[in-house]
Amino acid sequence: MGYPHKPHAKETVVLSQYFGDADARTIKGWIKRGGYEALAQALKMDPVAVTDIVKESGLRGRGGAGFPTGLKWSFMPKEKKRPHYLCVNADESEPGTFKDREIMRWTPHALLEGTAIAAHAIRAEVAYIYIRGEFTEPWTIMERALAEANAADVFGNIKIHLHRGAGAYICGEETALMNSIEGKRGNPRIKPPFPAAAGLFGLPTTINNVETLAAVPHIIKRGAAWYKGLCLSNPKSTGTKLFSVCGHVQRPGNYEVTMGFPLKDLLYDMCGGPPAGRTLKACIPGGSSVPILTREETEATLLDYEGVVAQGSMLGSGGVIVFDDSADMVYQIMRLARFYAHESCAQCTQCREGTAWTTRIMERILAGQGKTKDLDLLLDLSENMTGKTICVLSDSCAAPIVSGIKKFRVEFEAYLAGKRPVPVMVG
Amino acid sequence: MADGLINLTIDGAPVSVPPGTLVIEAAKQAGVLVPHYCYHPGLPVAGVCRMCLVEIEKAPKLQIACATTVTEGMVVKTQAPAAKDARQSVLEFLLINHPLDCPICDQAGECELQDFVFQEGQPGTRYGEFAKRFNPVEDFGPDVLYVPNRCILCTRCVRFMEDVAQEPVLNVSERGDRAFIGIHPEARLDHPWAGNVVDLCPVGSLLSKDFLHKARAWELDKTASICTGCSQGCNITLDTRDEVVVRVRPRPNLDINRYFICDHGRMHYRWMNRGDRIEAPLVKKDGGLHATDWDEAFARVLAILRGASGKAVALVSPGASSEALAAAKRLLSGFSWTGAFQVVMGEEAPLAGIPNLALRAERAPNAKGAELLGYTRDYAQALATAKSAAVVLVLDEPDCAVETDGALIYVGSVLGEDAACRRADVILPIANVAEEEGTFVNRDGREQRYFQAKPAPGMAQPAAWVLAQLAQTMGLAAVP
Amino acid sequence: MTVQEDYQPVFTGKVLEELQTVLQRYPNKQAALLPALWLAQREHGWISDRIMAEVAEVLGLTPAYVKGVVTFYTMYHQHPVGKNFVQVCTTSPCNICGAEEVLKALLEHSGAGDAGATSPDGKWTIVEVECLGACGFATPILINDDFIESVTPDKVAELVRKYR
Repeated sequence: MGYPHKPHAKETVVLSQYFGDADARTIKGWIKRGGYEALAQALKMDPVAVTDIVKESGLRGRGGAGFPTGLKWSFMPKEKKRPHYLCVNADESEPGTFKDREIMRWTPHALLEGTAIAAHAIRAEVAYIYIRGEFTEPWTIMERALAEANAADVFGNIKIHLHRGAGAYICGEETALMNSIEGKRGNPRIKPPFPAAAGLFGLPTTINNVETLAAVPHIIKRGAAWYKGLCLSNPKSTGTKLFSVCGHVQRPGNYEVTMGFPLKDLLYDMCGGPPAGRTLKACIPGGSSVPILTREETEATLLDYEGVVAQGSMLGSGGVIVFDDSADMVYQIMRLARFYAHESCAQCTQCREGTAWTTRIMERILAGQGKTKDLDLLLDLSENMTGKTICVLSDSCAAPIVSGIKKFRVEFEAYLAGKRPVPVMVG
Repeated sequence: MADGLINLTIDGAPVSVPPGTLVIEAAKQAGVLVPHYCYHPGLPVAGVCRMCLVEIEKAPKLQIACATTVTEGMVVKTQAPAAKDARQSVLEFLLINHPLDCPICDQAGECELQDFVFQEGQPGTRYGEFAKRFNPVEDFGPDVLYVPNRCILCTRCVRFMEDVAQEPVLNVSERGDRAFIGIHPEARLDHPWAGNVVDLCPVGSLLSKDFLHKARAWELDKTASICTGCSQGCNITLDTRDEVVVRVRPRPNLDINRYFICDHGRMHYRWMNRGDRIEAPLVKKDGGLHATDWDEAFARVLAILRGASGKAVALVSPGASSEALAAAKRLLSGFSWTGAFQVVMGEEAPLAGIPNLALRAERAPNAKGAELLGYTRDYAQALATAKSAAVVLVLDEPDCAVETDGALIYVGSVLGEDAACRRADVILPIANVAEEEGTFVNRDGREQRYFQAKPAPGMAQPAAWVLAQLAQTMGLAAVP
Repeated sequence: MTVQEDYQPVFTGKVLEELQTVLQRYPNKQAALLPALWLAQREHGWISDRIMAEVAEVLGLTPAYVKGVVTFYTMYHQHPVGKNFVQVCTTSPCNICGAEEVLKALLEHSGAGDAGATSPDGKWTIVEVECLGACGFATPILINDDFIESVTPDKVAELVRKYR
């Protein structure tokens, strides 16, 4: 269901089936709906067999990078010599993204079940679910669900703990998250070593996103072939995906569609398009870190990993931010730059200084003090901030700048000419 | 190429290095210094300044040389246009908030930011009219000031305190461009090895109060020396200006002190500049001491030695060079000889992260050398023997409470008003450690040379020369 | 700025027991730092230098280390805050839906005046934060631990009445 709205006929409801259904939050209600069957089944299987099913299903990481989940699990040491860990990334902080929050709010047991299956598959006895500090409601719900599940003793030998973040976007980066659990500043680590070799507490670790793990019980129960069959376009992108749609649409919310679904249908049919009298101007399809799409590109986009890339952006986390013709792109891009400047961990020079400098130039332009050469300067700084740092936060700051200047240059130029921007009327 | 080595090419030069070597270290072998800030061979790799980005063939993007290990056949290009551009941009980012206060900065002249900007930076700034970040200077500890405006957040200081000193009293505080090096108000940077953060700081952000505004780096003469603060034998550089020692810094020696020295050693230099020196040979005449020339002084000593027999005692400083100690022994070899030394003791202060590195309890550099030459630690016994000895030679022990019925020869650099050695028959002025070349043997038996950093005052000469001259004139063979 | 602080040790009795439970989840004490700081903030209201030193003591860390961590995470208060600590998301997705108007309304109705300042009656501190992760429910705000979705300027007066 396109929570918080009624389900739409074009949705493929798997993960979101019980969104809005309070009874599904309880372990009783969850078991009544077939919950924890997949876990029981998986616990009887060899971990390699579980991994193979997930590999075969084509499930890819839903946190943003889209790395094949089964393959990631298979990187864990074959011979277990030391403890293994599973980290669950519930630090959902990417502007535009709010799907994991919904999974935790309505189907906490789906996440716990998927977590336990994954822990079994990678032979971890301890899993930490890292929930961002601001998610007070999901935290309470997860805490209650975990207590219920522990009381019902459904996890076998696997221990699941919740760990609360404390306000840092960068902790959504996998190694920063591990540092944060270890009681450190949330600084991303240089790789290698990769988590499967030396992750949490220096031990072999796998980290998965909430949505990824929530899909796992379905795959175990209904089979890899079923999941693989959920595909509308590229066979490398399978299953369903939750898209968080926000900004200028009539019905913002979480919509679950099969991979390869047209973005245009999502925005217009399901979300009702822009508010009355407005037209769509731009869209960020995968959370704020990916390049901005124009209306034409948006309407031509198929929602899978390859489809969004084909239009010059990325699927990312599936957070779709919609801008209508009333949006001041320059101001909004400044807000995004400011976001990254605020969240930079301060380690890498380009990011620490570049995000702040970029923001200052954007603010100068907005204040009508911009200089003609500022756009070239922004582009050059963006180039210097891309592909040169430990993590991709500075790349993420550069993405909307570069795509914004390229696609909405006229709005920038209006500011540079000392005028408020002429709204760009598209179509 | 030797077996088990990895062969690679850096800027066209082939090098072979052991597996596991970092590209930045391999480059040094090829004679290439990859510009860097956060990397330091004595600290864990941080990989944060991003200055050492280099192009590596077949890698999809630039790699940091400090965190990339060599692989067989690797082709590294530090001067590839993309790498140079990337480094130039890092410099630009570092400079946007860096004050241009080089004229009043102690680091100027030995500043890695200056050096690499000079080498690879661009003229002018594109930061324009924006105000630079400003934070006030902070007092971190007994000898360390923090100038946050100059800080480039390389975190060398934080890593030193955390991983090497293992007492994390420094941190990175805040995030983004608001970040700075922080300290907790209830703690001080007063670890016995804390001063190393000043050396580690690649810019003028962490300053030594002792050296503050004392000299410009380019006015300093640098001399390789060995620390006299304890028996560890840390390798140091004596920095002199106008023949005055103004600073002591560690000189890397991986077997002894790595890249570090303790604060005790660092501050143990003022005595080298003492003005109240013995500047001429003195001989006892008419009940008083009279200045004379070396010829007369030597003649007096020779007369004493030739006219005496029986017991001789040498009371020596464990800070004297092995050469001087050997010559003293040689000079007295015609007697029934006793040599002894005493060592001032203090508290041991280890550097936790480095095995076998500490400020040692034994606060002298050459006790081991004295021992190897046959000097005893039984100083009290030697003093007792001195009473009835025919000749007593005191070597650079100005406070030696010697009493003797025999002849007393004092070979030293200073002498207090009430010193027992004022009763000496002959006083020979000698150079101190900064004024001579010599050898110390550290507690582990390692012999190490130190070199002359400044001239000795007046007529003073190195003790080894003085004593060897005398021994030679006496026709005595060198001690084996 | 010096802040008057009525410091009482936090980790005694029940709170210490809570911390002991937390410690069991991790293989070392340092990993309990974030949870320990959460407990300390719940008890003391904010994380002062004294509190940092106490947390360091309890977990075998140094105060400077703890301070480095505290200052990294924006949700630990380094200064006392009002009875109602309000976080308003003004990042792009909420921004285009009028988040800045919500912020303005909150500042006005609460009497806090400026973002980050505490109202004279000590009841309100309102801060602008980056993305709260509920972009489809613009504008989300957090009043202490209460997550409130879809706040619009016209709902602000009622909210302020309720929490005052």
